[in-house]
Amino acid sequence: MSGRRAQDTGAGHRGDGTREDAVPGGDRRAASVPGAPDRPRTPSGADPWDQRAGEWPPPEETAVTVPPAAVPPPRGPSVRTAQGAGPRERPAPAPRRGAVDPVKALLHRHRELCERAVDPLEIAAGLEAHGVTDRAAARFRHRDVFSLAEELYARVPRDGEPHQDTDAPPVPRVRARWVLLTLLPGALAAATVAGLRLAHGQPRPLVALGGLLAVALATRAALRRGPLSGEPGTRAWRTSNGARACTLWLLGYALLGDGLLHAVMTGGPDTLPTGTPDGPWPTACASVLALTLACAPAAWCAHLFTAGARRRLAGSRGLEDFAAAAKPLLFGTVTLFFGALTALLLLCGTALREDAAYPQGLSLGALLLLARLLVVHHRRHAPALALGAATAAEAMAVALPAAGRLPGCAFLTTPVETVVNAWGEAAVPALACGAAALSLLLHAVRTLTGASAHAPSGAPE
Amino acid sequence: MRIGLLTEGGYPFVSGDAGLWCDRLVRGLEQHEFDIHALSRSRRQRDEGFVPLPPQARRVRTAPLWTAEDDGVAHGRRARRRFTECYAELVAAVCAGAEAGSGTGPDTGPEAGSADLADRFANALYGLAELAREEGGLVGALRSDAAVRTLERACRAPGALRTAHEARVPDLLTVATHLERALRPLSLDWYDEDGLGAADLCHATAGGTAALPGLVARHFAGVPLLVTEYGVQLRTHYLTLGPDTAAPAVRALLASFHGRLTAEVYRRAEVLTPGNAHARRWQERCGADRSRIRTVYPGMADARFTEVGECPDRSDPDTLVWVGRVEPAKDLFSLLHAFAEVRKEEPGARLRIVGAPAGPEGEAYLGHCRALAAQLFPDEADGVHAVGDNPVSFERIGGPEVPTLPDAYASGAVVVLSSVVEGFPIGLIEAMFCGRATVSTDAGAVVEVIGGTGLVVPPRNPRALAEACVALLRDPERRERLGAAARARALELFTVEQNIAAFHGIYLEIVSHCPVRRVLLDDAGDPLPFATPAESRIPGRWTGPTVRPLPRAVPAWATGAPVRATPPTAAEGAR
Repeated sequence: MSGRRAQDTGAGHRGDGTREDAVPGGDRRAASVPGAPDRPRTPSGADPWDQRAGEWPPPEETAVTVPPAAVPPPRGPSVRTAQGAGPRERPAPAPRRGAVDPVKALLHRHRELCERAVDPLEIAAGLEAHGVTDRAAARFRHRDVFSLAEELYARVPRDGEPHQDTDAPPVPRVRARWVLLTLLPGALAAATVAGLRLAHGQPRPLVALGGLLAVALATRAALRRGPLSGEPGTRAWRTSNGARACTLWLLGYALLGDGLLHAVMTGGPDTLPTGTPDGPWPTACASVLALTLACAPAAWCAHLFTAGARRRLAGSRGLEDFAAAAKPLLFGTVTLFFGALTALLLLCGTALREDAAYPQGLSLGALLLLARLLVVHHRRHAPALALGAATAAEAMAVALPAAGRLPGCAFLTTPVETVVNAWGEAAVPALACGAAALSLLLHAVRTLTGASAHAPSGAPE
Repeated sequence: MRIGLLTEGGYPFVSGDAGLWCDRLVRGLEQHEFDIHALSRSRRQRDEGFVPLPPQARRVRTAPLWTAEDDGVAHGRRARRRFTECYAELVAAVCAGAEAGSGTGPDTGPEAGSADLADRFANALYGLAELAREEGGLVGALRSDAAVRTLERACRAPGALRTAHEARVPDLLTVATHLERALRPLSLDWYDEDGLGAADLCHATAGGTAALPGLVARHFAGVPLLVTEYGVQLRTHYLTLGPDTAAPAVRALLASFHGRLTAEVYRRAEVLTPGNAHARRWQERCGADRSRIRTVYPGMADARFTEVGECPDRSDPDTLVWVGRVEPAKDLFSLLHAFAEVRKEEPGARLRIVGAPAGPEGEAYLGHCRALAAQLFPDEADGVHAVGDNPVSFERIGGPEVPTLPDAYASGAVVVLSSVVEGFPIGLIEAMFCGRATVSTDAGAVVEVIGGTGLVVPPRNPRALAEACVALLRDPERRERLGAAARARALELFTVEQNIAAFHGIYLEIVSHCPVRRVLLDDAGDPLPFATPAESRIPGRWTGPTVRPLPRAVPAWATGAPVRATPPTAAEGAR
């Protein structure tokens, strides 16, 4: 078979093992094909070979070196086979003269493959997928597909054209679904507070219970979609049960804690909370209502942060660039949320004619936002720790005065008493949440400005 | 023996590739125990469960390659520093490019530098494995900012790949994520005394990530590694990670990483068994030692072809048959044109094209083929009163004419294969089992499979194809000779029994050449001779009440001065 013969000679004269011999091989073939225009021409390949080409024997000797049998006959199907290696290319009808070097034709046919290949083996794999076998490579004067691919790789000009396709992770889009869902907890909470204000007597506990349940479910739904939910399909973002319990405690404390602490310090509590701001155990509805309403701005802030980070990711050249660009973004996001939360607190305070409790509300809001941002970006450990610490601090603040009532344990009351006497009951949650939020902010500045926090979860397979 | 069978997205899962082959292997070698260690590729695959396993499959351990789940391991400061050092070495070797060290051929740059890079890569890989074993999983660390920073430094270092210099932050992230997935086997708990550490041999059913546990087991416990590749993993990687899938920097870095990993697997594997010469050439190209490569052809169940192969030829002597999946790579146009030439010589010839289209593209292609056949060959009838018929018929397996696959082959005198692109031609082997004379195009492994027992013509050459077909149609004796030879060759080379026997032999060969040296101690700390026979692992205890395997620790009796019982030359010779 002609393939076998060609392969043998190909292996024979490739003894020096360099890839430069292919172009002279092409010349030899051009010269030995009957009827080929035998005139000197400038080498059509890459330049470095033309010095070498002069060192080769003249064409007459070459024809002796290569047995004519090794040259594919210029007519008939096998030449067409040699040149029509692509699967979709129909063989050209006219018998091709061997005037051009055959590798060049192959290069032209597979130009895109060769130009975009990252190494010769990729070209070899692509050529094989197009049906080029070793025997076909032998017709190009190569031992095998690998050396043919190496020649193609070496001959393609790749003068570092900048690639345009910045395949940055896609920027998440704003969807009506999560926008509406984030409004839901606030709306339900507002309805519950209104119901509590309007209802009297028997239905009040029912209204409170139903409202709490509805708000909890709505919050859960809001955190499952949109920018506060992390990437779909992964479980990495899932909040641990401990963190969830801590969050519930913190919110509960914001609602009832100041009144409870006051009652404990003054010997109570004697009654259950009535849901009014002016009872023996007052409830601070305004700050909790503002916090539930703040789900929407929190989602927007998280969205802005993620989208901005993705954009900066695509635009930055190095990790330092990205960190420098992400830091102001993070601070801006937190500030924006602060502003929104302050406005909401002010609004709720005025509407409910209550004390808006800015320190507690702001510190707790910041803590929850930062914890959620970190969890969404695969940093679960620190948020759980910070939430746990804040919870423990608040629990201690209530438990210590209660324990101080035991005989001989009065000293336990001292620290809490000092704080409360100095700044009032509001100082306890504000200090606990504020310290936790501050530490989380420092952590976030370190981790969320790193590119790995914004890595896509999927890899090309 | 206890064999650790390593698969990736394959065998025990219902939807795995290559499942049939592994199943036959495990069922065929029932004298050995198999510990199957499988990496799953997707949630769906994992949820679909396992195929029924024979009793010699002692246990199955799986690990996902697809989750983005963090294992929650937080390393200490020292472990982090160790990780950064190892990872920096690894990515430095990767960023230096695949060409610098992937091949040991004569034309791949300075030999010493490439060997050095390969060593650096290997040391870093095993360093990471040791770190994972001592300090816990690496998933978090491989995704951390420190890893991405290390990667960036390596990309910007002098001497790195030119495309790597252009890597932007998203590219770095993609590469880091991919590396984390590819290196996930390092974090698994498969290498203890109960898992792969106790195996006598690791058999990886693919190269690349599937063989990585084998490399680690070899590093930790000295378990020899056998790698079988029916399709070259590296080539698949190149084909799937095409130009449109990722940025050039990502592709260059990942290609380099997979090239290095593949080279390391080939370097460390005790024996490589490619499925055909094509895979063998890739392995040699990527640095495999020729002396350790044994080609083991895939086996096919031949029982259903026995009847057709053994019985005398009852087929219509003028019929050509093509069997396969209809797709453009099969080049049916060429076949139809060739058949037109055949009809000029042999007006009574008929062509049956048996097969179902593959996908929507195949559907469209089949439509074009039908149109071409209708154009080339008008319907013919025996006389003016008979209903005509086209000499080319398109049929499917299960139809009234061809109820089964052997019937399809039995219905033709000559089986034709006209592909331009072909891997390992299953259809050709089936035709050989059926004892048919074949005419095939020289594509893929056709020449290797057919040997001298059929005619081979160049692809895209209808005239040559037609001449070969006519020659066979006119010569029934030659057809018979070729068919008998083809069946004999297929029975010799491509049966399941051949495949299993080959692996059995290779297992024994590997274990005899590089046995795992384990010292088993009894209660008193004395060594138990013959406690681990190579040839069989007997369930239960048989050498004593409690046998503690101590593969790496030095026993008490060995700390004293050595007592030489045999002359040193004999000891050398025994190795």
